[in-house]
Amino acid sequence: MSDCEVTDLSLPRRKRDALLAHRGFWIALLLVGALAAGASCVDSYLAYVATSWVIFGLLGLSLDLIWGRAGVLSLGQTAFFGIGGYLGSVAAINLAPLTGNTLICSGPVGSLAGACIAGLVGWLIFFGRMGALQATILTYTVTLIIWTSAVSFHATVGAAVIGGDNGLADIPPYVVEFGNMATPLGPNGMLACTILIAGGAYLLSASLMRSPFGLLVDCVRLNAEKTELLGYDTRKIQFLLFVLAGSIAGLAGALFGHWANYLTPSVFSVQEGLLVPIYVLVGGRGTLAGPFVGALLVGGLSFWLGGGVIGGQTTLVMGLGLMLLVLFVEGGVIGAVTSLFAKGNRLRALGTETEGEHRHPSLAALKHIARQDSDGSLEARAIVRRFGGITPVNGVSLTFQRGRVYCLIGPNGAGKSTFLRCCMGSHTLSEGEIMLAGKRATTWRTFERARAGLGVKMQTPQIFDELSVAQNLWVAAYQVERDRRAADRKVAAILSTIGLVARAQFRAGELSHGQQQWLDIGMVLCMSPAVIMLDEPAAGMTAVERAVLASMIRELATSAAVIVVEHDMDFVRSLEAETIVLHQGELFARGSIEELRRNEAVLDIYLGRRRHVRTT
Amino acid sequence: MEVDLVAITLISAVASAAVLLIATLGLAVVFGLMGVINLAHGEFIMLGAYAALLSTRAGLPFWAAIIVAVVLAAAFGAMVELLLIRRLYSRILDTMLATWGLSLVLYQAAVVVFGAVTPGLGFSFSSVNIGAYGISAYLLVLIAVAALLTAALYLLLTRTSYGVLARAAVQDPQMSAAIGIDAARINTATFALGSGLAGFAGAVLLPIVPATPGMGFAFVVKAFLGVVIAGPLALSGTVMAIGVLGALSNITASVWSAVFGDLLFFGATIALLRVFPQGISQSWRMKL
Amino acid sequence: MPFERKSELLVRAMLRDAIRRMASGWRKNLICAALIGTTFLTVPPPARADDPIKIGSIFDLTGDLNIYGIQQSRGLHLAVDKINEDGGLLGRKVEIVESDAQSQQAKYTQYANTLLMRDHISALFAGLTSSAREAIRPIARRANIPYFYSSLYEGGACDKQTFVTGPSASQQLGVLIPWAIKTYGRRLFVMAPDYNFGTISTEWIRKYAADNQAEVIGTDILPLTVTDYSPTIQKIQQAKPDVVVALPVGANQTGFLEQFAAAGLKQKIGLVSTNYGSGNQQIALSVDAARGIAVSPEYVSSAKSPQNEAFKQAWQTKFQTTDPIIGPAVDVWNAALLWASAVKKAGTIDSDKVIAALESGLSLDSPNGAITLDARSHHLVQSIFIAKGNDKRDFDIIETHDRVGPAFEQKVCDLIAQPQLAKHFTSLNDAKSR
Repeated sequence: MSDCEVTDLSLPRRKRDALLAHRGFWIALLLVGALAAGASCVDSYLAYVATSWVIFGLLGLSLDLIWGRAGVLSLGQTAFFGIGGYLGSVAAINLAPLTGNTLICSGPVGSLAGACIAGLVGWLIFFGRMGALQATILTYTVTLIIWTSAVSFHATVGAAVIGGDNGLADIPPYVVEFGNMATPLGPNGMLACTILIAGGAYLLSASLMRSPFGLLVDCVRLNAEKTELLGYDTRKIQFLLFVLAGSIAGLAGALFGHWANYLTPSVFSVQEGLLVPIYVLVGGRGTLAGPFVGALLVGGLSFWLGGGVIGGQTTLVMGLGLMLLVLFVEGGVIGAVTSLFAKGNRLRALGTETEGEHRHPSLAALKHIARQDSDGSLEARAIVRRFGGITPVNGVSLTFQRGRVYCLIGPNGAGKSTFLRCCMGSHTLSEGEIMLAGKRATTWRTFERARAGLGVKMQTPQIFDELSVAQNLWVAAYQVERDRRAADRKVAAILSTIGLVARAQFRAGELSHGQQQWLDIGMVLCMSPAVIMLDEPAAGMTAVERAVLASMIRELATSAAVIVVEHDMDFVRSLEAETIVLHQGELFARGSIEELRRNEAVLDIYLGRRRHVRTT
Repeated sequence: MEVDLVAITLISAVASAAVLLIATLGLAVVFGLMGVINLAHGEFIMLGAYAALLSTRAGLPFWAAIIVAVVLAAAFGAMVELLLIRRLYSRILDTMLATWGLSLVLYQAAVVVFGAVTPGLGFSFSSVNIGAYGISAYLLVLIAVAALLTAALYLLLTRTSYGVLARAAVQDPQMSAAIGIDAARINTATFALGSGLAGFAGAVLLPIVPATPGMGFAFVVKAFLGVVIAGPLALSGTVMAIGVLGALSNITASVWSAVFGDLLFFGATIALLRVFPQGISQSWRMKL
Repeated sequence: MPFERKSELLVRAMLRDAIRRMASGWRKNLICAALIGTTFLTVPPPARADDPIKIGSIFDLTGDLNIYGIQQSRGLHLAVDKINEDGGLLGRKVEIVESDAQSQQAKYTQYANTLLMRDHISALFAGLTSSAREAIRPIARRANIPYFYSSLYEGGACDKQTFVTGPSASQQLGVLIPWAIKTYGRRLFVMAPDYNFGTISTEWIRKYAADNQAEVIGTDILPLTVTDYSPTIQKIQQAKPDVVVALPVGANQTGFLEQFAAAGLKQKIGLVSTNYGSGNQQIALSVDAARGIAVSPEYVSSAKSPQNEAFKQAWQTKFQTTDPIIGPAVDVWNAALLWASAVKKAGTIDSDKVIAALESGLSLDSPNGAITLDARSHHLVQSIFIAKGNDKRDFDIIETHDRVGPAFEQKVCDLIAQPQLAKHFTSLNDAKSR
């Protein structure tokens, strides 16, 4: 196939996406402008209340970024909201007499305050390697601490008096004019101004989420381990997004201070904090615009009912609503409404499975796939790994060089997968050293090893199931190329190598198991690795595919070191590899597969015979 | 420092931890064995308290009222499990949100049905003197109750066949199903057990914590944190977490102020989460 | 996994993907805008001249503070019924627009603004906690409508638009503390909630103690969420006071009184309060814990007077309950009737004229005795009782102090001479610096 035929298939969607994004962006911008203009002709009381809905929608946006896209449920957004509110208001109280304009003081200060606190919390969560639940609890606890302290916290900062449970009073309203004669905005002006600010924040966030960074955020949510295996520092990605979300929450807090003119510690309360996930869920998680819809509906409902005779219906209705939402409606309001439109299914049908049409790999391309800056060597020096009472890897020393295929075999429980994980960086070593391309990599994290040229394919295919095949490869390629066009070209080349050109726009989750294996292999190739580790790559493949895979591996080995863990002895033989046998965590024997087959000791350990094997 | 002051401080601290532990055990069972975070736990405690209160006012002796509370709470818990929790397994954050919705509904219903102020128990307990200081005898009783309850739970979950089945169903639901364990029924029973424990807590704490619709809230926050810090071994982890944090926070409140006591609890939570991301019992070797 | 299930999952996955792709485009924005836009279609109709006079009410009908709020609301409804039965005001009926603040601070400001902007109320009756009052005061001031705060509090609120019918700390503590010192002894310990009411009242207790050759030997200031009072009880036992002044707010803090009794302290230490009973807490307590607690309210439900009997009769008929009526309910009732008589005196609902009428020295024969609205300080001169908890979940009156004036407020706050004053005098130092 010629190059331009291939690029036609993989690129157009990106171009289409870009075009659509552009058009969508301008339409969204127009809508925000229209809403802001409409705000001035609305009843002033409604404008007053609606302003708070937009502010809470903005707070919900901050949660949707971190929960809907990054997958971390943070119950701490109200903490950033409140801190941003307090500090922004303090700034406005003190500086407004100078500038006239209050927003220009409180906005930046509020955002910065929110970002700083979020940075601290984010550091604790992401660089502490916590699980999802622990992260949520940590954010919840941070909010609790701030709430408890705020009730007793008294301080006077210039003209601003923070009085513990009495809160911070006399916060100036929205003033957008400058100078001494500046007059505050009325309710309609407030609403228009808030819509513009919130709309701006939304558009920025939405654009960011369409950029490569946004794609990486989705990848971390879908499969954090794989993202790290591709060489991305997942902690940094999540951390940056968390800080951004914190700054948006802080900005919302500053606006809230101006709206309410009075802030108290109740802004940090647990009840308020749990409202934010409701906004996100009602509107539609992950949509970014959903929280605004959610805040509008919840605020409107709470307001309409709460003004009634004996209130409490609000709480009851919200409680019921929350339960129903969680149980039955996964897409929120937006999901439900758009599903009404989802008649013509734009997805391609699965199509016919034609064998053999795919692969005529240009294996020549594989010769130069390995990166040049690495000498393609991996060395394990006397590595030991202990878990509790067992030692799956017990003093293994092996060196792998480019130009050869190595096969690791051994009976179940020999420690092959554990050894692999030690080389990868998933397990820390109890003793010993790992040398990668001549450098001491023992303390390196997984993503650092990946960047140094280590490409790993695990036993079960690790892919991003919600992204397309092309996007999966692109993410892998982007880490190395760091340029969109170069990444596009590489994706095109690898697609033809692994034979998935016809499936490039399919969701990766819909591929068959064997195709997913190929995709996983393709992602490894996109990384231009110098050392490649494959854990049972042939599992689930047909005989034809195995043959292709074997020739691919042999070709790769000319420029990289390839280590394959396998059980299938015929496959091992077809690789013409140096074979290493592991047993009970130790190096047992090595040589060509024929030599090993004649080795009685090796047969013993496979067959469970005791004669030549020492018992431990 | 006077000896009796030190003694009373320590005993108070242990009593305070015991009270919190009694309130938390139900949540530990539900979370530790089922992986479900029930944010309506505080409202189950409240239900138990009201059930016991109404029973005593109807003439039942206190011990019988406690039994009524336990049975009612367990039955209600079974119903909740069947209708709500069952559909949300493995969606841990969704169960959190759904049970929070449930807690709002229960709280509101309690306000409507029971009103704001309900007549109290009507009997009180004697006090015990330790040197120059007095402490309610009931607090000492509660220390014993907490210890017995923990022991009973441990035996139930490790020595009886129900306990083994319950732990199996949690550790590997598919395998359990493959060998014939009806995980669904076991889970209903476990959730009912946890709810029953919450009802017990509400009833048994009635003499010192008056029954109000919002009484559960103060407990559920700390119970929740304790249960998450506890880690994979639900029972021993919870006992350690609540025991240590509850006692320390009480001592801090005695020496300084209640605010500092709470801050200590929350600050320690964060520190422990950082150091033990999987919970404090992650490398312990006990059974439960 | 059975085959049908897998393909079903596949189809669902395809649909979800389609939805997501739909949702991730500009359509979603369109839908959002449409949803948001439709809410802007509601517009309220204009008002007419013979419409009822609207007054606004915001009380805590739900939440931890509803032990006060429900009765406050009832007091207002009963008063408005009476006003309407007596022919209404200026030929028009009076109508209450009611909101439930749900014991949440933030709702007070929100609903205050709503009642003003949407319902165009002529007077506002709202708030229990001092935080709520401080949040509403500026709003009422900006809108220039009379605002009535009807609950006991720490004192010092001074604002042209604000009128306080609840007793202030100087009224209650000024009577209670000398009595407590005379009855129990000179060493006092204070337990108070952690916000302005608690902390400022504590300062007042120190002052009155010092004035009577006594001393506050210890304090414990507690957040409203605490339920474990053993640290407080320990501190009390360590300090060995003669009397404990407790100011429990809300249902949670009622637990302190139970635990105090359970520790056996009531035999040795007296227990007095200004606000215990103002939420009918004595109903929830055990008899042992409730017996003997001395309080200094502005109203006792068991008081025998013709006005009180008539009031209780009307209350029990309308609300079908024989629970004791609490002070804040009567405070609201007083506020509403005072406002009504001011409107009648002014002949109009125009705020400036009504406020002037309120400042002309109005009096009323109320269920809690004769009351007078002090013109300059906007506070009430009213009776203060000393009562003790009995075995029947109620209180027995021990002493009656008639016509107790708000001494501190009268000293610092003169809204006729200084109509622009808008301040919360929070400490004794403030008074000195005037």
